[in-house]
Amino acid sequence: MKRNIYKGCIVVMLLGMLAGCSLPGLASTSKETLKIGALGTSESQILAEMLSIMIERETDADTDLVTHLGSSIVQHQGMTRGDLDITSTRYTGTDLSGALGMEPITNPEKALGIVKREFQERFNQTWAPTYGFENSYSVAVTKEFAEKNNIETVSDLEPYAGELRFGVDNAWINRKGDGYDGFQETYFSFGEVFPMNVGLVYQAAASGKMDVVLAYSSDGRIKEFDLKVLEDDRKFFPPYDASPVIVNKVIEKYPKIKEITERLSGQISTETMQELNYNADVKLMNPRKVAEQFLEKHNYFEDTAKEGQ
Amino acid sequence: METMEQFIHYFSQNSDYIWTQFYRHFLMAAYGVLLAAIISIPLGILIAKYGKLSSWVLAFGSIIQTIPALGAMAVIMIVLGLGTNTVIFTLMLYSILPITQNTYVGMKDVDHTVIEAGFASGMTRFQLLRMVELPLAVSVIMAGLRTALVIGIGIGAIGAFVGAGGLGAIILTGTNATDGTPIILAGAIPTALMAIIADLVMGWIERKLQPVKESKTTA
Repeated sequence: MKRNIYKGCIVVMLLGMLAGCSLPGLASTSKETLKIGALGTSESQILAEMLSIMIERETDADTDLVTHLGSSIVQHQGMTRGDLDITSTRYTGTDLSGALGMEPITNPEKALGIVKREFQERFNQTWAPTYGFENSYSVAVTKEFAEKNNIETVSDLEPYAGELRFGVDNAWINRKGDGYDGFQETYFSFGEVFPMNVGLVYQAAASGKMDVVLAYSSDGRIKEFDLKVLEDDRKFFPPYDASPVIVNKVIEKYPKIKEITERLSGQISTETMQELNYNADVKLMNPRKVAEQFLEKHNYFEDTAKEGQ
Repeated sequence: METMEQFIHYFSQNSDYIWTQFYRHFLMAAYGVLLAAIISIPLGILIAKYGKLSSWVLAFGSIIQTIPALGAMAVIMIVLGLGTNTVIFTLMLYSILPITQNTYVGMKDVDHTVIEAGFASGMTRFQLLRMVELPLAVSVIMAGLRTALVIGIGIGAIGAFVGAGGLGAIILTGTNATDGTPIILAGAIPTALMAIIADLVMGWIERKLQPVKESKTTA
């Protein structure tokens, strides 16, 4: 009888601890800091670090990074649940079919307009203006292979497709709409498909372990490994312009954050992003250092404050 | 050997970062085991007393153990959200079996003649538990905590997937980079070291708590 009471107490204490979210020493559980979510890619982390540096520099808020989130759906759930206040990189194409469950739209401006409106209405979140680069999926092969078989577009691969090994991102393969199923409908099937961590595909292609890979267009390794991005001639892949997304409550509390995202917008072109990614992925620099260097070089975009966009 | 140089370079450049993640990783594992101990030790004692429950409880613990940690974490994430709490809860679940089992075995292994002697000298059940059974079983219980902590440090590495950070985050960064071996090592070596050190320290405590040691030499 007594033991039951003890056990009851323990269970209550335990739940209290978990719900109260305050185990000493684990800082991310504090309620006062803004939590910035990022994907596992270097790009996402670099941009999260940039936001974090800018926010801590210009407001009195503390920030904490929640990195290596599995997919944009995890980011989205984190945002709607209140575990995250900001997500550093959200891509129009991904969230159109992912979070919003809508049909892919190939016109970039239309897509951006729709996600902005829908996120505001449905989730009470602000889809900030784009950083200026897009990170679309693109089919890539080695230059050698392209030259030998005279391949320029994805359709050119069709005669060979049955024998080709296709290395793709884990997150892409099961995606509805713009995933592999959709790809097969628009184009064709490949002989074998190997889902893997997206960071591995570039090397896999360069070393001949894969014949065709699905690469991220803003990745610095496309250049490094001498890959050729094929033209998406049937316009299958929707645009993936990158933006941060912020919970509206946070903007109300720190209006400065909105201004920061506006100042950053249009400042990072696809080439610039490739370079930054290259620093992190190939030179093995810490994303925070990459972000610091970039911001210092551009004087934290203080001069662009008035030009806006 | 280039990898080794790069590893040392990365390590020295990011030692602060690695240390923060190391500390975080350890705390997650330790909290998980601690919370599990709060549940499992009383549970183990209970099932040692009421033998009929034991097969059920231990079977249940084994079932938990068979669920892949990543899957469990993903499901728990739906309820507890992103971050360390999810990882701690998962580690707690995985620690329940080793601790309960060891408590159960430790309590069962206590010599019955000793208990009877205590009972005959007029001890209450609680006194028996506190002064006879627990001290005799404590080193076996510690062995359970030790196993749980080492498992916990290993499972904690996948906590990075639910945004909890830890050394797993460094390993993941490495898998994203080209030739990321140095970064992977910078995450994996400290994880392994932590597990080894935890094992040694817990083993040392376990031996310290061994009650039978001295009596055996004299007997």
